[in-house]
Amino acid sequence: MSFFKDRNCYMKNYNLSFKEKWSGFNWYLLIAICLVIGISLGVLYSIGGGSWSPWASKQTVRFLISLFCLFVLAFLNLRFFMRYAYWIYGIALISLIAVELFGHIGMGAQRWLNLGIMQIQPSECMKIALVLALARYFHGASLEDVRSIKFMIPPALMMLVPVLLILKQPDLGTAMMLVFASMGIFFVVGVQIWKFLLLFLMAACAAPIIWTNLHGYQRKRVLTFLNPESDPLGAGYHIAQSKITLGSGGFWGKGFMQGTQSRLSFIPEKQTDFIFTVLAEEFGLFGGIILYSLYMVIIAYGFIIALKCTNFFGKILAIGLTINFALYVFINMAMVMGLMPVVGVPLPLMSYGGTAMMTLFIGFGLIECVAINKEMVIGRLGSIDDE
Amino acid sequence: MSVWKYEKARIIFLRTFGIVGLFGIISLILIGRLFYLQIMQRERYLFLAEKNRTAVRLTMPERGKIYDKNGIVLADNKKVFQAVLIKEQTPDFQKTLNNFKKLIPLDEEEESRIIKEFKRKRAFMPVQLKDNLTKEQVVMLHLNAPSLEGIQIEETLIRHYPQKELTAHIVGYVSLLNEKDSEIESNLADLAGYRIGRSGIEQSFEESLRGEPGFRKTEINAMGRTVSLMQEEKSVPGIDLHLTIDSRLQKTALDAMGDEAGAVVVIEVKTGAIRVFLSTPSFDPNLFLAPISQKKWDSLMNNQKKPLQNKVLTGTYSPGSIFKLIVGLAGLENNLINPLGRVYCNGATRLGNQLFHCWKKEGHESLTLQEAIRHSCDVYFYETGQKIGVENIVEMAKKFGFGLTTLTDLIGEKTGLVPSAEWKLATKNEAWRTGDTLNLSIGQGFLLTTPLQLVRAIGAIANHGYLPDLHVVEAPNSDEEKEPLVNEENLNLIRAGMYDVVNHEKGTAYSSRFNFEGKRMAGKTATTQVRRISLKEREEGLKKQKDMVWESRDHALFAAYAPTGKPKYAIIVIVEHGGGGSSAAAPIASKILKEALRLDQEDAKMKKGGN
Repeated sequence: MSFFKDRNCYMKNYNLSFKEKWSGFNWYLLIAICLVIGISLGVLYSIGGGSWSPWASKQTVRFLISLFCLFVLAFLNLRFFMRYAYWIYGIALISLIAVELFGHIGMGAQRWLNLGIMQIQPSECMKIALVLALARYFHGASLEDVRSIKFMIPPALMMLVPVLLILKQPDLGTAMMLVFASMGIFFVVGVQIWKFLLLFLMAACAAPIIWTNLHGYQRKRVLTFLNPESDPLGAGYHIAQSKITLGSGGFWGKGFMQGTQSRLSFIPEKQTDFIFTVLAEEFGLFGGIILYSLYMVIIAYGFIIALKCTNFFGKILAIGLTINFALYVFINMAMVMGLMPVVGVPLPLMSYGGTAMMTLFIGFGLIECVAINKEMVIGRLGSIDDE
Repeated sequence: MSVWKYEKARIIFLRTFGIVGLFGIISLILIGRLFYLQIMQRERYLFLAEKNRTAVRLTMPERGKIYDKNGIVLADNKKVFQAVLIKEQTPDFQKTLNNFKKLIPLDEEEESRIIKEFKRKRAFMPVQLKDNLTKEQVVMLHLNAPSLEGIQIEETLIRHYPQKELTAHIVGYVSLLNEKDSEIESNLADLAGYRIGRSGIEQSFEESLRGEPGFRKTEINAMGRTVSLMQEEKSVPGIDLHLTIDSRLQKTALDAMGDEAGAVVVIEVKTGAIRVFLSTPSFDPNLFLAPISQKKWDSLMNNQKKPLQNKVLTGTYSPGSIFKLIVGLAGLENNLINPLGRVYCNGATRLGNQLFHCWKKEGHESLTLQEAIRHSCDVYFYETGQKIGVENIVEMAKKFGFGLTTLTDLIGEKTGLVPSAEWKLATKNEAWRTGDTLNLSIGQGFLLTTPLQLVRAIGAIANHGYLPDLHVVEAPNSDEEKEPLVNEENLNLIRAGMYDVVNHEKGTAYSSRFNFEGKRMAGKTATTQVRRISLKEREEGLKKQKDMVWESRDHALFAAYAPTGKPKYAIIVIVEHGGGGSSAAAPIASKILKEALRLDQEDAKMKKGGN
C-alpha cells in the first residue's frame, strides 16, 4: 500500500465538504441539550430571586462559549482525535500530577490548577481524555485480543493511574465516574461478564481497606448517608433538607419562584449540586419527569450515533462519552434523593458552574464529530487503512 | 468487512443494548424514588417543610465570672451587639463583606480572621464579623439591610476585664478561636464570637468557666427574617471563680514596682493562698478580645521588659543569697555547722589558683552563722558549703520544693533546675567540681528557681517548717497532715539571721525596716549576676550598676515574711536588672508587707464595726 494511495484515500473519503458536514450534524441532540439548558436558566433565575444576576446571566455566557466549542470540535476531522488521543491523555495526566504538586486548594480538596489567566480542573479534562485513549486502544482490537488478560493490562493502568491521583485530591465523585465509565467501555468492547463479577467480588473484599484510607469528611458523609438522623444539624443536613425540598413539591410543584425551601436557603449549594431539588420543588414530579425524559433523549441519541458509526474509534468514543453523561445524571439524582452518599457530582447541563459545562460540551462536540464522520474509515493504527 | 470486525460490531451492538437495559432499570429506580418522595410521602415532607420555616441558633452561655478575695470583679461579661454573616444566605459573600466594610471598617487582621473562619465553618453557620457594635453602627446596619443580605445583628456576651493590667497575668485572657482550636470538644466551636481562654485562670479553668450554649428556635418568614420565637433553651452559665488574690494589695504591688520589670508574689504562709500574683510590666487583656493589630503586637513583643511573659509562672532566676538560708539549714540539720562557730572572711576564698570573691572586697572578718546571714557574707558560705557537700545541699533544696511545681491549680508553671553531680555528668558530660559547690552555696551557677518556689520556701521557714501548697482559687484547706521539714531550733537560728537583715543596723536591708504597731518584717536580700565579671574588670574597678546598660545589670531579689513574731505573709520581690537586692527589691517588699498588715487591721475594724 503506497503512501499516495493512503493520501488519496484520505482526500477522497474523509475530507467532507462543509455542506456535507452540516447535513451530518445531529440537530435533534443539540435541541435536546438546549432545552435542558433552558430549564437550567429558568431555575437559576428563580434561585436568584427572580433575577438574571448573579447566576443565570453568567451561566448564559458560559453556555454561549461552550456552544462555540461544541461546533468547532464537531467540525474537526475525527482522525485528528484518533491521532492525538494518547497525547491528550498524556497532557491530562501530567496536569493531574501538577495539581498534586502545586495545585490550588479549594474547599478542602486539591483540584484546581492555576494557569495564570485561567484555572483548570485536570480531573474534568481526564473524563474526556480517558475515553479518547481507551477508544483509540480498543479501536483495532479483535475480540480475542480483548479476551486476553495481557491485552487488558494497559487499559486497566490507563484508568487506575488517574483514578488514584484523583482519589488522593480527594474527589470521590470524579474517581467513581472514571471507574464506571471505563468499566462501561470494557463491557461494551466484549470483556467477559465473569471477569466483572470476579472484580466485583474482589472490590467487596477490598472495601474495608479503602474505608480506612478515606478522608474524615468522606467517612462522615457515608456514615450520615446510612443514618442521616444521627446529625441533623451537621453532615446529615444536606440529605435531610434535600429530601424535604423534593418531597414537599408534590406532583405539580409549588409553582415557578414559589419554592419555600430554596427561597429560605435551607438547601446548601442549591445552585450547583442540589439544583434538582429546586426544580422538583417548584415543578413537582411533573417537571422532574420532563427533565429526566430530556436526559434520556440525549442518552438515546448518543447511543444511536455510536451504533450508526462504522469505525470502531467513533463507536467506542461516542458510547464512552454517553455513559459518562448518563453517570453524571444518575449519580447526582441518586445523591439528592438520598439513595447515595453526597459525593459532589453536579447535575449535567443544569448545575451552575463553568468547568463542568465546558467538559460536557466538549464531549457533545466529539459525539457530533462522530455523527458527522460516521462513514469514515480509520485504519487499525490510525490513518493507514490496512484492510 | 473482515470477520473480526463483524464479530466486534456485533458484540458492541449487543452489549450497548445491555447497557441500555441497565439504564432502564436505573431509571425505574430513580423515577420510582421520585414518585415515592413526591407523591407517597408528600404529606410528611410538606409538614417537615412547614416546620422548616424555623431557624435554630445557638446562644452564648455566660462565661463564669472571676472575683478576687473581697468580691471585686476581675473578669465579667458585657452585653454587646454583634454582626454575623451566614454564607449560604448571601448570593455573593465577598460583595456583602465589602458592603459591610464600607459601613464599618475592618482592619487586615480582622478580615483575615473572618476569611479563615468561613473556610473552617459550614455554610449555614454564622460567622462573626464584628462585635462590640455601637448604637449608631447598629442603626446604620439596619438602614443598609438591603445591601447586606445574609448579615444579622444579634445580642451576645463579650468578656471584659475591668481591672485591666492589674491582674492580667493571673486572670489571663480569652480570644477568638483559630484553626488550631478545631479539636475542642464542644459545639461552642460553632458559635459565632466564642472566645477561648488563652492564659492564666482563663486557660487553666477553661472547662469550668465556659458553660453550655443554649439555643433559640425562631420562625422566619419568606424573606428569612425572624418573625417569632418558638422555642428557647437557656444556656447554662459557667462556674464563677473566687480567687485568693487581694486586688487592693496587688494594686500596691503594681504601684511599688513602677516601671521595673519583675515579679511579686505574696502568700499566706499557713494556707498557701496567693494574695499577690504580679508580673511586670503588665498589659491590658482587653486588647486580645479583638484580633490584635500587628503594630500593637510588635510593640508588646519587642519590648525588652517582655510584658507578655508571665514571670511568676515561667521566669527562672538564680536565687542568689536567698539560697544561703537553705545551705545554712542543710548544715545545721546535718550537724555540719556549729551555730556559734566562727569563720574568718578576708574578702575571698582561694580554690587552687582560682579566687572566689566575697561581695565585700575588704572582707567581713570573723562571723557566726547569724552574722553571716545578716551581712550576706559569701566567704562564710564558700567555706561551710564545702564542708556540707553538694548532696546535702541538694537534698535540702528538694525538701523545700526547689525543682518542683508549687501550684495546685494553675497550668504552665516552670520547675527551674536543681543541679547535682549526676545531672552535670548527664547533660554536660563533665564531673562536678568543688567550684560548682562554691557557686551553689551562694545560690549562683546552674541553680535556677522560680518566684513561686522562693516564696514558698520562705513561707515554710516562717511557718515552723511546714511547706504550704500554693493556690490562687479559693479552696477549702486540706486537712492533709504534714511533717515539718526541719527542726524548729534550727529554723530559729535562720530566722534570727533574717530578722537582723532588716532590723540590725548592719543588716543589708536595714533601710527598708518598718515598725507597724510593733509588727516588723524579716527577710533576705539577693543580688544575682546576669553577666560574669572578668578579672580585668575587677582589677580596673567595678563599674557602677547604673552606668551599665539595662540588660547587663544585676537582678535584685528580696524574700521576706511578716510579722516576725507570728508570721502571716511571705513575699518575694524580683526586680530584673534592678541592681542591688537591698536598694531595689527590699523597699518594694517593705511597702507591700506594711500595706498587707494595715489592710488586715482595717478589715478587722470593719468587721467589728459591722457587728
